[in-house]
Amino acid sequence: MRILIADDDRMSRRLLEKTLEREGYEVIAVDNGRLALQQLSLPDGPRLALLDWMMPELDGPGVCLEVRKQHERPYIHIVLVTSRASKQDIVAGLEAGADDYLTKPWDPTELTARLRVGRRILQLEDRLVEARETMRFKATHDPLTSLFNRGIIVDLLTRELARTRREKGCTVVMLGDLDHFKSVNDTYGHVVGDEVLREIARRLLASIRSYDFVGRYGGEEFLIVLNNCDSAQAIVRAEEVRNKIAQHPVQTIRGPLPITMSLGVLASQDWDLQLVEEILGEADLALYRAKADGRNCVRVGKPTALCNAQDQLAK
Amino acid sequence: MTRQGDRLSQIGVNLPELLLRVENDLDLLGELIGIFREEFPRLLQCLQDSITRGDMKNVEAASHALKGMLSGLSVTQAAATASRLEQMGRAGQTSGLTEAVTLLENEVADLLPELDAYTAEEKL
Repeated sequence: MRILIADDDRMSRRLLEKTLEREGYEVIAVDNGRLALQQLSLPDGPRLALLDWMMPELDGPGVCLEVRKQHERPYIHIVLVTSRASKQDIVAGLEAGADDYLTKPWDPTELTARLRVGRRILQLEDRLVEARETMRFKATHDPLTSLFNRGIIVDLLTRELARTRREKGCTVVMLGDLDHFKSVNDTYGHVVGDEVLREIARRLLASIRSYDFVGRYGGEEFLIVLNNCDSAQAIVRAEEVRNKIAQHPVQTIRGPLPITMSLGVLASQDWDLQLVEEILGEADLALYRAKADGRNCVRVGKPTALCNAQDQLAK
Repeated sequence: MTRQGDRLSQIGVNLPELLLRVENDLDLLGELIGIFREEFPRLLQCLQDSITRGDMKNVEAASHALKGMLSGLSVTQAAATASRLEQMGRAGQTSGLTEAVTLLENEVADLLPELDAYTAEEKL
């Protein structure tokens, strides 16, 4: 494990360095507080630090205060090493953000024991962060396909529509439904059905840009949100998605299965709808038309007024 | 304890504590003595200059650094004198400063030759 030593006293620095190297630490040694802060602010900087109290440029408590402002970084366990052993000093050091302190001259066995405590705390923090991230993923993703779940994809769409209105841009909404999926489940069983859903999810993810969103909207329904995409591009993008699904059969344990998707598409700029439910309702109607028109096709939802205007232009 | 070890104890070095700190590594002890040999005269000069200038903030800083080094080598008595100088610097107390510096010099006078002799004897 890497550890930072910050001490302007050469002798103390060398002694700490040697003691910690013997314990198997990878030591980074600096001689002032500014350099210490620089090291601790690096994205992959050390997570254990031994800081002298009095240092040029920035003292130990000053480094602690700055480090604790960096909320986004993984936690850093900081031990202040000081010859200032009054209760007042200790309290000030801990209040500044230090986790522990050692008084000089320190005892090597006590030093290494305290650092082991620090490592245990960091390991505990890592486990908690990992558990939190796992829970966050489970709360926001569909367990079968690992796509966003319905709640999250609708939230993302709501946010995206609000942004689009603010910036007078356009968001494209695609609602896709696998054709005859019920017969896949009925004929080959749910294990194969799940295989198909996982593969479709993979293909959908591969067909969108990194800043677009895709989620599982229902059983075999998927919602795709394309940011900064206008109605002219919408149908092209939807056809790309449809092709990506239909192009190659899905390989399953029961052999390759041809799978297709119908899509209802709309571009927010064509509509004056405020509610996400209304937008989704119109996308659903377009999807219904795609199903009615023979499936494996794309239908664009357009308001009647716009359709009439386009018809007039066509004449 | 060896004869040289006894001598170090007589001049105020807590040898068992020092050996524990360096984990009986005489090469490391030699390195620390080397650092002390370079740093001590510089810091002492800095302390004396600060006293002459009446710069009490620097008196405190130089004494603090000296205290750290002396504590690191377990020179307990001299470290206590450096600590007293640090407190005087912090309090802005000028009276008695020069005497304390002289005391510190005396306490440290025999330190380097005795430490050198000790490491030489132990390595034999």
